[in-house]
Amino acid sequence: MAENKKRVLEMLAQNKISTDEAYRLLSALETEGSTSEDTVKSGTAASMKSKYLRVCILSGSEREHGGKGDRVNVRVPMTLIRSGMKFTSLLPPEARDKVTGALHEKGIDFDMRNLKPEDMDELLEALSELEVDVAGSDGETVKVFVE
Amino acid sequence: MKRPPMLMHVKIRGERRGFVLWLPIFLLLPLALAVFIILSPLILISIPVFWPRGWRKRALHIFGAAFEVFSSMRGLKVDVQGDHHCIYISAI
Repeated sequence: MAENKKRVLEMLAQNKISTDEAYRLLSALETEGSTSEDTVKSGTAASMKSKYLRVCILSGSEREHGGKGDRVNVRVPMTLIRSGMKFTSLLPPEARDKVTGALHEKGIDFDMRNLKPEDMDELLEALSELEVDVAGSDGETVKVFVE
Repeated sequence: MKRPPMLMHVKIRGERRGFVLWLPIFLLLPLALAVFIILSPLILISIPVFWPRGWRKRALHIFGAAFEVFSSMRGLKVDVQGDHHCIYISAI
């Protein structure tokens, strides 16, 4: 941010841009900076607010026969997910290679070695907006959301 | 500082049998401390053995991370119910 401002001022000093252009560029940079700060703040607030990841599965017969059938209701604290993800960074390199290989065999091109703590925070922030709602033809429903 | 769960409620019901268990984790923590004190001579012996091999940092991290996972379990709820079976686990 400060680097960009400095570059604009340097361009002004070298007469590459006019004063008006420099003013416009600096204003644009300031607006961009405040917007990104707001986004980060709102994202952090959302992730702080969300406490649990909920998974609710209701079989079709449950709905039809009023209480009979399979029902799954899981509530996982977000702090547990965060701690669990930190735990993965302690995996030995051999184990990580094995996991990456197994994922690759299943068609998932994901390298665990690239998973960094800052990526995890970003992932958890994004998870706070997650909502999956699947309704099957037989009346079964699957809901995954963060509350 | 996260507070570890104090109680764990486990309910398992099969077609014929079932059981309900209230696990007082707050009573198990002093027990774990006692086990740690008993094992401390063994830990003290293992420290100079593993110190030069670079295991110290990893072992400390693993203990820390395991405790953090345990502390974060408060609020966890797993409830699976079928026609003839039921599994309910809740950390309070």
